[in-house]
Amino acid sequence: MTIAHHPSDETLLRLAAGTLGAGPALVVAVHLEGCAACRERLAGLEAVGGAILHEMPPAPLSADLFGRTMERLEGMPPTPVQDRVPKRQPALGIDLPRAMRRCDVGPWRWLGPGFKWSKVGIAGDPEAKVMLLKGRAGLHLPAHGHTGLEFMQVLSGSLSDERGQYFPGDLDEADDQVDHRPVVGQDSDCVCLAALEGDTRLHGWLGRLLRPIVGF
Amino acid sequence: MDAAGPHLPDRLAEQVRPEARLIVLNGARQKEVLPSPEELTRLLEAVAQARDRNAFARLFAYFAPRVKSFLIRSGLTDAVAEEVTQEVMIAVWRKASYFDPGRGGASTWVFTIARNRRIDRLRRSRLRTTDHFLDPSDEPDTPPSGEDIALMTEREKGVRKALATLSSEQATIVRLSFFSEKPHAEIARELGIPLGTVKSRVRLALNRLRTLLDNDP
Ligand SMILES: [Zn+2]
Repeated sequence: MTIAHHPSDETLLRLAAGTLGAGPALVVAVHLEGCAACRERLAGLEAVGGAILHEMPPAPLSADLFGRTMERLEGMPPTPVQDRVPKRQPALGIDLPRAMRRCDVGPWRWLGPGFKWSKVGIAGDPEAKVMLLKGRAGLHLPAHGHTGLEFMQVLSGSLSDERGQYFPGDLDEADDQVDHRPVVGQDSDCVCLAALEGDTRLHGWLGRLLRPIVGF
Repeated sequence: MDAAGPHLPDRLAEQVRPEARLIVLNGARQKEVLPSPEELTRLLEAVAQARDRNAFARLFAYFAPRVKSFLIRSGLTDAVAEEVTQEVMIAVWRKASYFDPGRGGASTWVFTIARNRRIDRLRRSRLRTTDHFLDPSDEPDTPPSGEDIALMTEREKGVRKALATLSSEQATIVRLSFFSEKPHAEIARELGIPLGTVKSRVRLALNRLRTLLDNDP
């Protein structure tokens, strides 16, 4: 399927620069897995980072830094220790993307009729606001807006709102100008991965529904 | 003493000239010859395949002062920047076998390592478990072909040219986006424009950058 909705240039720039929060970075990483065009865009922006590194005026180093570095290398095992142990993740009825393999994923929890969520934890960033959402076919999600950016990647099924239709592989970025009322497609349940940026809060019904349960 | 260094082919001299600087060494003025992107790739491969210490020493001499400079510009103190630089160079040594010249150049690869280490510092997670999602040590899917590598080298050059082609305001926007955790505020300050107009300026700069990168692969 052709991907119609991609992360913005600025989002990819922030990912390349390392200034995008961990939650949004995860959602974009899932998008990149399925989108060669965005992988190419990101590679170009990372190369800009490489070019900026290249043009930095060299800073003076302590005279013994190289020696100390070699000393530390002597004491290390020859290959890096791998921390590739997959997390224990509950059966959610979907194949989780590779980018999520080191995340803590909770079981589905009830959020409303036909509406479930699962908490996604990111190693190294307990503050990240990330979750999987699952809505049954035809479900109308409560209208909501946000104080900052909301990132949403469709994993299965489809969604639509006033601005368009979103299929698996699509990533939607909604900023504080967007108030939307997503509806799940009629054909099947929809599962998506959503993240809110930093101190972004949801308002509207969804915010009131989620805040006491999810914590944001 | 000018016969001491190897004669540079014209093409290489062309690449080196803009950055060539005079450094004072043992009282004598000598030109620092910067390694070309191709040379950096060869050095990384020598580290990966043969644990070549001389190759690593040359990589260190080129990258460590630039990584430190980049980290200081990003807001780290001199002491912390040097500590992180050491971590970056250790990662270069240990992860050299994951470097995939079909995916990007050596400078880009080292940049991504420095970027991830900076994230670790800023999140103050001294645990080594931060998940970066974009891990330069993820295994390459397929070994790169000569064609991939040539393409990457071209991209590297195209990107440097693009950066030089941007207007100074747009180049500032792009650079600050890489240095600063909160680039919008810094861009507003640096350019003397209201915060409310930064977003559209960033969008314009990135449009222009994208056009340059697309047209000059
Ligand atoms: Zn895309």
